[in-house]
Amino acid sequence: MTNQRLDIDSDQLGQDLVALVLTVVELLRQLMERQAIRRIDQGDLTDGQVDEIGTTLMLLDQRMAELCEQHGVRPEDLNLDLGPLGTLLPRD
Amino acid sequence: MTERGPEQTADESALYVFAVCNAPDPAVFVRLPGVAVETQLRPLRFGGLTAIVQTVRAADFTDEAWQTRMSDRDELERYARAHHDVVSAAAASCPTVPLPLATLYHGEERARRALLDETERFRAALERTAGHCEWGVKVYAPESPPPDQGHLPSREEAPAARSRPAPGAGLAYLERKRGVQAQRERRHEDALRVAETVDAAFQCIAASGRRLRLHAPEPAGQGRVQVLNATYLVAEHQAAELDALTRTLRDATGARIEVSGPWVPYSFVGEV
Repeated sequence: MTNQRLDIDSDQLGQDLVALVLTVVELLRQLMERQAIRRIDQGDLTDGQVDEIGTTLMLLDQRMAELCEQHGVRPEDLNLDLGPLGTLLPRD
Repeated sequence: MTERGPEQTADESALYVFAVCNAPDPAVFVRLPGVAVETQLRPLRFGGLTAIVQTVRAADFTDEAWQTRMSDRDELERYARAHHDVVSAAAASCPTVPLPLATLYHGEERARRALLDETERFRAALERTAGHCEWGVKVYAPESPPPDQGHLPSREEAPAARSRPAPGAGLAYLERKRGVQAQRERRHEDALRVAETVDAAFQCIAASGRRLRLHAPEPAGQGRVQVLNATYLVAEHQAAELDALTRTLRDATGARIEVSGPWVPYSFVGEV
């Protein structure tokens, strides 16, 4: 469809790789978060455990935001358009 | 319907078929160029119906030629418009079944035979769409307030990022996340409900309706989210009701509803 050639620019390639890795990490983090919320809703965790899990996820979230900032990646860059399947991460 | 073979040579001709009509007026096609410069549009009679056809150079319509054309936006648009102009002119003057872009046959006899085989289908489609137009309806979810992303500000609020947050912070964090998630699910359900409401309302005045695949969200994050992409076959005398219906639905749902038309009923000629 397009006449564009693949431009192999190593800086850009590195940047894209960083974004991809962060995307995968963010996907896993969000999945864990959902799983945690489900477990809480089932009521089989103590308040202490919930707080522990919540704190861990929160720190991961913060760390994620820092990494994105360090690498100049915007949060919306961490999403992939999967065409008819929608997007990888929920878009609010 | 398209038949192309490897045996074509450069000066061989093919027959391009634009549409099948019931008693068209040949005068409306005189000024239209069609898809070839050197020949004129002409009627081809078969089984009591008339196809609007044009003789073209087979070499201009090989698979390779189309592949090249597909990658050239302007060229593709030129062909699509030429095709559409003929179909629109036909539809404006008589009941018409449009054929897909690039419907080609090796010569007149084969075209006539193939069209004859489908006469019943064409008759049924002509009957169904006579006096009707197609209207497109696209619905976009109501704009939602900018959501709380749930990301904590990494710098301002958490200066001592490496130290353990206070007890209860994790609990509060998960509660907030749960809120965001519930809100997202609610919005999703609302959007689906809006789509069903709008579809049901249009189905009431339409002779027929089809739901098409939703368009992917517009890129760049802030795009509108489409919740309904449908098309309806509406009788001409009921077209005036569309406006009022659209306004009512807009007020009732708060969704953005875009109506386009009238179109030649491309989407309603395939079914038998």
